[in-house]
Amino acid sequence: MGRACLVDTTICTGCRACQVACKAWNDLPAEKTKFRSKGDGYENPPALSGRSYTRITFHEILDDGGNLDRSVFVKRQCMHCEEPACVSACPVAALQKVKGESGSAGAVVYDVEKCLGCRYCMLACPFNVPTFEWDKTVPKIQKCTFCADRLEAAEPANPQVNDQPLAGESLERFEDTQRMPACAKACPTGAIEFGEREDLIAEARRRIEEKKKQRGSWQYVDHIYGEKEVGGTSWLYLANVPFDKLGFRMDLGERPYPEYTKLALDAVPPAVIGLGAALGAIHWISNRRAAAEEADGPETPTGREGEQAEAASEPEKPTSGEGQRAV
Amino acid sequence: MIHEQVKGKPVTPATAALILLVAAGAIAVAYRYAMGLGAVTNLSDQYPWGLWVAVDVFSGVALAAGSFTVAGLVYVFGGERYHVFVRPAVLTGLLGYLFVAVGLAVDLGQPLHIWHPIIMWPEHSAMFEVAWCVMLYLSVLALEFVPAVLERLGWSGLQELWKKLTPLVSAALLALFVGVMSLSWTWAIGTLVFFTVLAGMLSRFVPARPGVPALLIIAGVIFSTMHQSSLGSVFLLMPDKLDPLWWTPSLPINFFLSAVAVGFAIVIFEATLSAKAFKRPLEKEALAGMGRFLAYALWIYLAFRLGDMAVRGHLAGLFGGGKAPLFLLEIILGVLVPAAMLTSARVLGSTAGLFLAATLVVLGVVFNRINAVWLAMTMPGEGAYVPSALEVLVTASLIAAMVYLFALAVKLLPVFPRSEGEGPQPSPAAATASSRTHTIASR
Repeated sequence: MGRACLVDTTICTGCRACQVACKAWNDLPAEKTKFRSKGDGYENPPALSGRSYTRITFHEILDDGGNLDRSVFVKRQCMHCEEPACVSACPVAALQKVKGESGSAGAVVYDVEKCLGCRYCMLACPFNVPTFEWDKTVPKIQKCTFCADRLEAAEPANPQVNDQPLAGESLERFEDTQRMPACAKACPTGAIEFGEREDLIAEARRRIEEKKKQRGSWQYVDHIYGEKEVGGTSWLYLANVPFDKLGFRMDLGERPYPEYTKLALDAVPPAVIGLGAALGAIHWISNRRAAAEEADGPETPTGREGEQAEAASEPEKPTSGEGQRAV
Repeated sequence: MIHEQVKGKPVTPATAALILLVAAGAIAVAYRYAMGLGAVTNLSDQYPWGLWVAVDVFSGVALAAGSFTVAGLVYVFGGERYHVFVRPAVLTGLLGYLFVAVGLAVDLGQPLHIWHPIIMWPEHSAMFEVAWCVMLYLSVLALEFVPAVLERLGWSGLQELWKKLTPLVSAALLALFVGVMSLSWTWAIGTLVFFTVLAGMLSRFVPARPGVPALLIIAGVIFSTMHQSSLGSVFLLMPDKLDPLWWTPSLPINFFLSAVAVGFAIVIFEATLSAKAFKRPLEKEALAGMGRFLAYALWIYLAFRLGDMAVRGHLAGLFGGGKAPLFLLEIILGVLVPAAMLTSARVLGSTAGLFLAATLVVLGVVFNRINAVWLAMTMPGEGAYVPSALEVLVTASLIAAMVYLFALAVKLLPVFPRSEGEGPQPSPAAATASSRTHTIASR
């Protein structure tokens, strides 16, 4: 089914080690930011950008009396949809969902060698994730890669301990700790869990149910964001405040985005044939009629009053000199 | 129909002004390539598409619709009396698509990859369909315009070859299109067979019209239909951003219907301006006929669009919602008013009335495309997009380039029908105008 990450926002402390690890692994330059005291609190950078694939958003949840009830931190990045809008949008297949047995199965990856820079993916994405290098002469689309390169191969390639190469079980154990996105690897609290998508959904459900048994404790919202949204995503979220208070759109529906265009595009081949048949038939009828009129002369009697009137009001209508006519 | 060149110098004060504007735009484009999109435009991650996409690309395609509506009307539906508009409309369409291609090359982040849709075949992408429609329709338009060039050069041998080959080329282009859109050999070969048979049947059973391979025209109408509607399909992926007054699963049909309307409008608009600029007679009867077609097209578009909204339960949005004023402005001034105007015989008989109605339709459709691309979109975050001065300059210079090329083309090539020595004129007014042309031409 593919790899996924489960973000448990009740565990996240907002330390932003994931942001730092992401920049380090993906070699992204720093961004000049400024203190933002209004609205979204202390979060920085203010938005995903060509230099930031991920960021933590800060949410101050107030109680009924208007006092701070709790702070919730949400890691945002590409959701790596199961059926991505961006992949269906791209006219040159520069965006692809990795499928099959590959280590990075589940990731939505981008290939600049194919990209046109048309930016349709940016508008198609229901989560507004893809960004653009506006300051570059030949810009790329930028977005979280799910560290597909890490998932494909553990780094370093030939690990050694005390000058001895790792092998067998120890090598496998080492690789398991490395083959995950840099952010998940860096997270000190375990708020980002990496694994197979179906396992993580089961784990998320288990956590929700577990909490329900602890009476008097806070409870998870009984919803795994990303399980069904837009057909499912590879990043899944748990929260203990309603998701719409955390900047998640709840109105996106469960329909996979590619289906929105599928009907229109599937109609193209039959439409071409159908139009061809219809236009051919119309051309046939109208031209035979015109030819018959020309053969009979414009004074054809019965049943053609309308056309006769038209012909009369149109002295330019050629009855002679037909042979000279070109387009 | 015999065509003639417009007499006049290739450069006049008016065209010199156009050239100046084009030169300024060219400098801005050079600056854009040197410094990147961010330095020249006000585009951002929040508003990735702006003026260039809305006007240069989406409106450019819509305004090029005149070539397929007129070619279809004359050659497919047998509207012979509108023949006078064919060549100017095809020229406008050809230049319009050129405008789109240049505009696209300026807007793309990786312009050197502009040809990639030829080798990458993601048939699930509406933008991929758009790209193929641009390429194929541009080919058809070029083929449609070849006779004017060959006629000018006097190469009759090539003209014969062109007549023989174009039906087969058209069938092949259609098969290629269906092939890449379905990724199925069955569909591709089936399409090739179907259109080859159709071409054969038309040439055998339908009385020959000299110089008009029916299949080329049919292919042009099909590619245009597909292209206009696919531009609507592009927005199908934005149900979460585009206001429901515009977003509907029927967007492709809305875009097609509005393109048909603006196709008639642009012909009226262009013919009226050409008559003034080149001091040519105005084909008043035929223009009134186009006005009548435009009225039908507008009423159908309006009924479909409002009917679709009623079915989806969005009519109430007309009276609330932040985007309702944009919608009302677009629909009332761009559709309802010109439709009502053109339903009156008095307006149809008046050159100024026709021109005003056609201009409203043109502006209305451009406004519709601008709404879809940016004004009716709700983007995340604060801030709005207002095009930069350089964006406006580039768009203005592209339009100027097209106007200049049109004026140049009609002087170099036989585009307009011959206005003298061709039997009686449709009306005394036109005859006077014609003789005036004659005096000016002989001066």
